[in-house]
Amino acid sequence: MINFEYTRALTVKAATDALARYPAARLIAGGTNLVDLMKKGVTAPARLIDINSLPLKQVEENSRGLSIGALVINSDLSAHEIVLKKHPLLSQAMQAGASAQLRNMATVGGNMMQRTRCTYFYDTAMPCNKRQPGSGCGAIGGYNRMHAIFGTSDKCIAVHPSDMCVALAALDAQVTIAGPKTTRTIAFTDFHRLPGSNPELDNNLKAGEIITGVYIPPHPYTRHVHYLKLRDRASYAFALISVAAALELENNRIKSARLAMGGVAHKPWRLQEAEAFLQGRQASMSTFKEAGKLAVKEAKGFGENDFKIKMSPVAIAEALHRASQA
Amino acid sequence: MSDFNLPGTIDRVDGRQKVTGSATYAAEYRPAGMVYGVLVGSRIAKGTIKAYDVKAAENAPGVLAVIHHLNRPNIPGYAAAEGDTGPGGLKLFASDKIYFDGQPVALVIADTCERAVHAASLVKVAYQKEAPQTDLLKIKDKAQAPKRGGAPYKRGEAGAWQKAPVTVQGEFLLPHEIHHPMEMGSIIAVWEGADKLTVYDKTQGVKSAQRTYAQLFGVPADNVNVISPFVGGGFGMAIRTWPYQVAAILGARKVNRPVKLMLDRSQMFTMTGYRPFTWQKIAIGASRDGLLQGITHEAVGASATYEEFTEGVVRMSQIMYACPNVDTLYKLAHLDVSVPTWMRGPGEATGAFALESALDELSYKLNIDPVELRIRNHADKDPENGLPYSSKFLKECYALGTEKIGWYKRNRTSKSMQEDGMLVGYGMSSGIFGAYRSPASARALLRADGTLLIQSAASDIGPGTGTAMVKIAADILGLPYDKIKFELGDSNLPPAPTQGGSGTTSAVGAAVHDVCTAVKEKLTELIKATHDTNFHPGDQPPAFKNGSIQTGNTVISFGELLRRNNLQEIDLTRNSKAGEERQKYSFYSFSVHFTKLHVHPDTGVVKIKEIVPVADAGKIISEKTAASQMIGGVIGGIGMALTEEAIFDHRYGRYVNSNFADYHVPVNADVPHIDVLFVNKPDPYINPMGAKGMGEISLIGYAASVTNAIYHATGKRIRQLPVTLDKIAL
Amino acid sequence: MNDPHKQQEACGDSRRDFLKKSTVLAALTLTPPALLKAGEQDEAIAARFEKIPLSLEVNGKAYSLDTEPRVTLLDFLREQLQLTGTKKGCDHGQCGACTVHVDGRRINSCLTLAVMQQGKKITTIEGVAKGDDLHPLQEAFIRHDAFQCGYCTPGQIMSGIACIREGHANNEAEISEYMSGNICRCSAYPNITAAIMEVKKGGQAV
Repeated sequence: MINFEYTRALTVKAATDALARYPAARLIAGGTNLVDLMKKGVTAPARLIDINSLPLKQVEENSRGLSIGALVINSDLSAHEIVLKKHPLLSQAMQAGASAQLRNMATVGGNMMQRTRCTYFYDTAMPCNKRQPGSGCGAIGGYNRMHAIFGTSDKCIAVHPSDMCVALAALDAQVTIAGPKTTRTIAFTDFHRLPGSNPELDNNLKAGEIITGVYIPPHPYTRHVHYLKLRDRASYAFALISVAAALELENNRIKSARLAMGGVAHKPWRLQEAEAFLQGRQASMSTFKEAGKLAVKEAKGFGENDFKIKMSPVAIAEALHRASQA
Repeated sequence: MSDFNLPGTIDRVDGRQKVTGSATYAAEYRPAGMVYGVLVGSRIAKGTIKAYDVKAAENAPGVLAVIHHLNRPNIPGYAAAEGDTGPGGLKLFASDKIYFDGQPVALVIADTCERAVHAASLVKVAYQKEAPQTDLLKIKDKAQAPKRGGAPYKRGEAGAWQKAPVTVQGEFLLPHEIHHPMEMGSIIAVWEGADKLTVYDKTQGVKSAQRTYAQLFGVPADNVNVISPFVGGGFGMAIRTWPYQVAAILGARKVNRPVKLMLDRSQMFTMTGYRPFTWQKIAIGASRDGLLQGITHEAVGASATYEEFTEGVVRMSQIMYACPNVDTLYKLAHLDVSVPTWMRGPGEATGAFALESALDELSYKLNIDPVELRIRNHADKDPENGLPYSSKFLKECYALGTEKIGWYKRNRTSKSMQEDGMLVGYGMSSGIFGAYRSPASARALLRADGTLLIQSAASDIGPGTGTAMVKIAADILGLPYDKIKFELGDSNLPPAPTQGGSGTTSAVGAAVHDVCTAVKEKLTELIKATHDTNFHPGDQPPAFKNGSIQTGNTVISFGELLRRNNLQEIDLTRNSKAGEERQKYSFYSFSVHFTKLHVHPDTGVVKIKEIVPVADAGKIISEKTAASQMIGGVIGGIGMALTEEAIFDHRYGRYVNSNFADYHVPVNADVPHIDVLFVNKPDPYINPMGAKGMGEISLIGYAASVTNAIYHATGKRIRQLPVTLDKIAL
Repeated sequence: MNDPHKQQEACGDSRRDFLKKSTVLAALTLTPPALLKAGEQDEAIAARFEKIPLSLEVNGKAYSLDTEPRVTLLDFLREQLQLTGTKKGCDHGQCGACTVHVDGRRINSCLTLAVMQQGKKITTIEGVAKGDDLHPLQEAFIRHDAFQCGYCTPGQIMSGIACIREGHANNEAEISEYMSGNICRCSAYPNITAAIMEVKKGGQAV
């Protein structure tokens, strides 16, 4: 790792100002992804701005719903009283991610900012358009078992590895962002982007902007929820496929549903067509299976990840089933 | 065999050091002036090095040296060895030739680890690339017979299985698996003078490492001290020495300072061996009442182009069952990969997956219980040479295991059982591995303060060598455990074999047994010669208990006895080795593994619920550590069965999952309750303790126990490891 | 324990080179890392320098020394403070061997920078026992033979203590899940779980 300058920002403004002034600088919070990438030589920022002192650590309920500071630690949030009671889907998803130690380090903002685990991205000896635009995509035609089946481009088929983000996408969360001059709010599902022809861009943050927090508007999904994560071992592994399922049930009839998937796209993948299909129907395995089939209509495999196309409907049905039984 | 009781349990003798962090592993010594070495690995799998650009690295702060094939100091031991390999494997920085991705191409030495790592990233190498071949299945048909060992085997008639009324056959695939001990390859090399070398090493054999380093650097073996009292796991990767160790020693000589070199996790995929990708085809024929009539077993294992590695993949088919007709063929596919090496259970574990899976399939075809099928084909004598077994309690293993897991309560039909919406499967398999006894020696020093020091250049990569040795010594001399210290892991100690092939307890234990027996005899002599005890010839032999000797009504402590004889200490060394019993009997350990698991009917997620491993490993010296060793082998088998696979992108000949996030070893949540059972009957011939080995049999066969249980649960016979959920669900 | 400053002198090429390169920079090592406050955009102070001062507490002992920003907490502990009980098993947050407590939380010390621990209280395996009296979980690990080679053991114990304190040791399944961030290749998992369960049930202060 190249040595770098290290500074601490004490206010959001100081952080955004510094970012604007030094575009090559990177913010560091938990460090679990950035330090790893720096060790691998994937990124080599000349300057790190430590933002752990910023006042973005509050979890509070207000008129907008549940407001979560960008620096709230993952383990704190997943175990937070209000989250457990009113947003159990988020809690489940966060518990499914990484390990107890990493969840003790990782922040909400950092979790959103984490980069893909694509092996070609991580290995500087391999081609990768995300790491080195124009070098090609190693995963297309190569090892792509972990890769995307939705929203891919011929430049990149990487997936976003987060569990937390899948639940936040399902729950219609909003992201608050501060820039050097203004602040803004965008839908969580608009935060991350698809690779298109610029896979080097993971999200829609502009230069000098930082995430200040996330909020979850009030919703009825406090009981019938399930986060299903299929992976290659029982714990401490990234998702092959994950499903965040939330149902609003009344006498076993689905008043409304929320569905999102992880491990299948460059961003958390919201399944609105399947949600619409579920609305108003009786909760049953056959309904759930139908919803699952709808979800993969547009899926495209790349060989080793073809199984995800067959597996996704099964996983969606299973997640909905467990949600309905919860 | 002597009278040997071993009652009571013993806590691991080095437990306190291990739980307090004071156990010192190879990279944790701090010789004055120590600097750091980092190896640069090739980024292509085949070709030649055209040029180096090392200016940036050499000019980086703190850098002391950048060594590569154009400026490498002489390694005298390479001269005698023709070709690409010498002592320590592939000759380090010997030419511009690239044999595999990750091959060391340069060593950077700097004053801090951060500076060394960074400078290593600045070394630029230009290559002339050639198309690599890392896919065994592409060249399987061009596989060749090994140069050494692995000759075709035939007993009775070849291909006899085809004539049998009931037959099964299938092809099996096992991927590359990496040992991945938690401690990565580590070494600190210190030249104490021009021809005097001290090496803090991660090794399973201090004596063989000492010989190798002496040979390589042209110094007398006695001048090389290899120190390795704590080894953070090995599983075979540290049986031999590797180029990274040669690099550290070479680097230390070049910069004239101690050099520490610790591999990183990705380098553990290419620089320290692995269990090779192996293709197998097995066919078995049996009579309708389940008597085996023929086994044909063929295997092709991956090997390197520059060095050959062979292992006993087809061995178990030759020796396990009373089958009159067996033919086997083992070949190697030479790929552009680093050379494999023994990994726990080695080839036998690979072969057992095929053999024990095929037997399970046969049992369904015959409608005979799989345990019953194995009992019907039990070999009462060694089917290979007709010799009697020194001991064999395999049938007892079957009985103990079936009882414990409730084997006969299951519904034998596949896909017939459910619990909580999950498909339930029961599976079993058997394992076998030779029980050895290499020559070993040990020194015992009984001091006047009543403490006993025992020394032997043995190793402990985790099974608890010291613990077992203390238990043996305590039993013979009647000393409390805390009065005995066992020193190991230092090449200056009396010679002992490398820890591998399940042989340490047998070999070193016998030496400890012999030297402690000699101490006991000496004490007996002394007491006979001591006039003021009321010991008389012809009396009952003296009793050794609690650090004292009892004769008649007199109790005298060892220390007191030494003092009365004006002795400071008793200092004895004994060499111990096997005798002609090895020609009269066949020596094997046996295991049986039972597994109960759940399979989710839609997603294919497997959850192992219960495991019962049963071993006939002779007399168990220390039950607590032995049980841990069995558990460890079984969980290694879970990895083999369900999670582990090192994956190449064959276009580049480079691994794509060379890290611990993508190469999945089992974690705590993968593991159920495990009930280890031992027959615990001594082998009358193997060694004075009656102890056979268990390191390998704990793993051998286990993967088939899992895949057989998956078949029972789902009706799907999976012959390609690891069984990831997509292989079941789709 | 040896004085880490002495060690730096002993293998002190780095420091000498550094001083040679710039005596101006040497002065900077005495100043705290640049703090960015609102409106304070002038980062002249943050010129490229190699080492910055760091004060923290490890196992109840205060340390103040200079370190490069790129040094991880793990390497800082092992190489600079010579507290080698904390192990390097992967260096990428994928094994848990480097687990330590920072202000009471278990974390992977390989993925955090030492300079980020300014003013923090670190506990490593060396700080768990009280003198010769082992921590109850250390004793339980010995009793249950919850290790073989011992290399992952410090991380397992640090993680296990936190697991109990967090309230995640209520049953075996929960312990297994919350201990899955600590890989044991010798696979002592069932015994590790049993040791933690026993200490939790025993109700001793951890």
